[in-house]
Amino acid sequence: MSDAASRPDAKTPTGGTGEGGAFLDMFRDVPVPDRCVACTNCSLACPVTRVAPDYMGPRMMGPVYERFRRGEVPPTSRKALKLALHEDPFLHYCSNCKNCDIACPCGVPISSLIMEARASFPRSRLTALRDWILAHGETIGLRTALFPAALRNFAMNLSPTRHVLAALGVAFKAPLPAFASATFNGFLGSLPQPEGLVRKVAVFPGCYVNLYDHDCGKDLVYLLNRAGYRVVPSGFVCCGLPMIANGFAGDARANAETNMAELARLENDGVPVLAPCPSCVMTLNEDRPAACKDAGPPPVIDACAFVAGCIARGELALPSANPMRVMYHAPCHLRAQGIGLPGLDLLSDVPGLDVLEAGAGCCGISGSYGFKKEKYALAMSIGEELFGRVKESGAGLVVTECGTCRVQIAHGTGKAVRHPLSLLRSLFADVVR
Amino acid sequence: MPLDVRGTAAHPHGSAPAPRLPDVEVTALPDDAPPTRAGTASPHSRTTRLPGRFDVSTPSPERNATTVAIIGGGATGVGILRDLSMRGIPAVLLERQALAAGTSSRFHGLLHCGGRYAVGDPEAARECIQENRILRHIAPNCIESPEGFFVLTPEDDPAYEKTWLEGCAKAGIATSPVDPDEARRLEPGLSPDIKVVHRVPDASVDGFRLVWHNWLSAREHGGQLRLRHQVTGILQDGGKVAGLRVLDRNKGEEYVLNCDMVVSAAGPWAGEVAAMAGIHVDITPDRGTLVVFNHRFASRIVNRLHRSGDGDIFVPVGTVTILGTTSFTADGPEDTLPTSEEVLRLLDLGAPVFPDLRSHRILRAFAGVRPLYTPPNTAHGRGGSRNFVIVDHADQGLAGMVSIFGGKLTTYRLMAEKIGDLVAKRLGVNAPCATARTPLSPPPSRSDMEKASKIFPVSALRQAAERQGAAFPKLVKGLAEGRGAEFLCECEMVSRAEVELTAMESPAFNLNDIRVRTRIGMGTCQGAFCPLRSMGALHAAGIREDLDPRRELSRFLGERWKGLRPALWGVQVQEIELSREIYGATFNLGNSREDGETS
Repeated sequence: MSDAASRPDAKTPTGGTGEGGAFLDMFRDVPVPDRCVACTNCSLACPVTRVAPDYMGPRMMGPVYERFRRGEVPPTSRKALKLALHEDPFLHYCSNCKNCDIACPCGVPISSLIMEARASFPRSRLTALRDWILAHGETIGLRTALFPAALRNFAMNLSPTRHVLAALGVAFKAPLPAFASATFNGFLGSLPQPEGLVRKVAVFPGCYVNLYDHDCGKDLVYLLNRAGYRVVPSGFVCCGLPMIANGFAGDARANAETNMAELARLENDGVPVLAPCPSCVMTLNEDRPAACKDAGPPPVIDACAFVAGCIARGELALPSANPMRVMYHAPCHLRAQGIGLPGLDLLSDVPGLDVLEAGAGCCGISGSYGFKKEKYALAMSIGEELFGRVKESGAGLVVTECGTCRVQIAHGTGKAVRHPLSLLRSLFADVVR
Repeated sequence: MPLDVRGTAAHPHGSAPAPRLPDVEVTALPDDAPPTRAGTASPHSRTTRLPGRFDVSTPSPERNATTVAIIGGGATGVGILRDLSMRGIPAVLLERQALAAGTSSRFHGLLHCGGRYAVGDPEAARECIQENRILRHIAPNCIESPEGFFVLTPEDDPAYEKTWLEGCAKAGIATSPVDPDEARRLEPGLSPDIKVVHRVPDASVDGFRLVWHNWLSAREHGGQLRLRHQVTGILQDGGKVAGLRVLDRNKGEEYVLNCDMVVSAAGPWAGEVAAMAGIHVDITPDRGTLVVFNHRFASRIVNRLHRSGDGDIFVPVGTVTILGTTSFTADGPEDTLPTSEEVLRLLDLGAPVFPDLRSHRILRAFAGVRPLYTPPNTAHGRGGSRNFVIVDHADQGLAGMVSIFGGKLTTYRLMAEKIGDLVAKRLGVNAPCATARTPLSPPPSRSDMEKASKIFPVSALRQAAERQGAAFPKLVKGLAEGRGAEFLCECEMVSRAEVELTAMESPAFNLNDIRVRTRIGMGTCQGAFCPLRSMGALHAAGIREDLDPRRELSRFLGERWKGLRPALWGVQVQEIELSREIYGATFNLGNSREDGETS
């Protein structure tokens, strides 16, 4: 994993790493606000800036804003407080997709700076409630888990519910994912796994698989079992990214502590941890150096990269497919890790599959961003290029690792969208059955 | 390799050659010109958008007569203009360069509480704390940072603490001890070796802004300002001042300004002014160099607790931190080119307070010249008094001429008040000083702030409101009426509307003046983007088409590079290479030294 090695500043995480690590070392000891050379590459790379002319872009809202925030002594006089404004709408434009971090030649953790600034500003009550709901999907999913999934989904998609959500600021048209029955973590204990598997792995399911998409989790377990690994239960909670993105830094920190303790425990037992969602992998690996001073637990491994490793080591035979054209979308948070595109590489090696890389940038959803009423249209126009690319390609199926990318692409194109490992697993099913 | 700015690059607006300007310093609109287009036939006109989105017209002044002529457009001179104008005494200020072009902008930005003078100069300390309180009240938009620290490092004499505390108590400066751990929580960069910390009511002040807002206030009361008007002679009539001979450098012509009194507030140039009247004055120009860091690594002003010396003060002001200063006898009032040796020495001196100092990016360095008044048998340099002295030259046989020497920015208002008292007495005017009670500009209204918050991010909004002061409603109106919210200067968050508004104000003769007023080009990128964007915006809007883009850009960049050269290493080199590529590759504008000295 190049992520930890090339991280410019352990205290303020960034995803913009990977290639050029040696170059970024130049900035290791330079304080964060001093690294930006104002080149504006980040603003050119920002998908939001491209479609929202009002938005000033990541350079302004990140490093520039940071210089104004640094060392500011809070206003003490009543007059100053009276004029202090309650909400800065511009801070909420950023979708935290991290394309700015990828583009920065100087190792500025731009998106993290914007998220910190966002967390430091107060919000109006209604927006705060909406953002809390979007940030705490896991909590809501767990609290309502007493009700059967069908009932919950029926209730969620009822017109009155959507109207209430719309009043809170959740876009009426946005495609809310459907709850699965129970959680993946709970369900893993009862999942039959073959006897006699010696090697162990743990899976960080991520909220999307944990709450909505058990099939993806089951597909991963199937592949791991087949490669000779037993998936052991674990006590992870949400990685905290939705909380960071919605301005709940404290909650994110609390979750990070729980997860880091769990990572350390598994490391002690010699159990590697993998995750199917790139955003979770990115967040956990960024938290790790901050949570652990020196040698922390090993990084969380991208599930596709792990399965590719199984194939390379001969633990898993590569299946073949009936000729089929598939379009692959690389999630922004995967690109931000600088670990290549293991999901694309994996599928490209499968005989019969004609895998095209979309190469059309961000899909627009960026976690909870596209679900917000005032951001829905923006998110859809950001995804426009990708949707067009998918439609032109003639591919019958789109694959991508990220859960909300799948929701957005399905919403924007009407095509079926799956996780690369789900596609891989279905090919095994073809062979086996 | 430096590129020659006078090369043969294509004219930025097409094939027409750049008009060759006559060799006067500046070609600008006269002070009283209405803010309209210079001429409809200009080859630069590209839009039909009408100018005058902002109404900045000023009444046209009487050219050849006034009651009091003030020489010098620094804080003291403009303060005197405001003081006299508020007393109802007609006055004209003559400045040969730009507002705050001398010492008033070349200092650390500290609004003294007097702590630095508490032991060595108790009179100055008392004046400082008194003026500190007054300025917080009348100029809140120019002043920030609610407190300062005095810290004792292992290199300082611990016995000094007691003497200093006694001095502060005597001068009326409130101090309170701060637990060193608490101090490091508030200022995480402080050295762990610091064991003694005291809190004082220091503040930071933007010198440019203070001078500018004094001028705006003086204008409200009828004061007149003439920039690029240089005094060339003092006219006398039977031992009494009769007027001044003035060179209008905008038009290149001389005129006589008749007046009853002349006040010289020329700072380090005061000796030269007095010499025109045949009077010898002992002014020792004392040079101080300062370093500007890219961000605020301190939230408070941090002084070393010792007898004031070099490199012992850190002032966070706006978006930057300034470390100062040195003290050397200067070669003259214009000796303001800092050296790398001075910068490195300051970094060494500052390290006992902030050990990580060298990791912070330096934006630039600059030097100012203190106008120390040193009659025979007095101390020079650090030992020289920071007090001001008013000399009525009637005692030397020239009635009607008054000079003010020495002093410091913190006490500019008091200096102006004393001059005002003297002038009023000589003129027989019975009007008390009003400058201590009346704020320079009204605070921004809630409705304007809310309106603008829909257009700007919060930080930009606060900055714009504070910079513009009384002109802020005009800016908000312009923003609300349409375009102009985009930032031409991102580092300091200056909008197109603000640049346009400032360009139409009468003291803004060129891009450098717009910089002084708005802070364009004074942030991280040091002018890599903003001067180019600003010139383009002004021409596109049909404002100030008299400004020649290549000349303005080269002057602007030359002034920036003057301060960049002495501290050009680390990340700043990358920044400046980017800037040099932009201007060198696209405009053949280089960094030849003669290219951009400020005028």
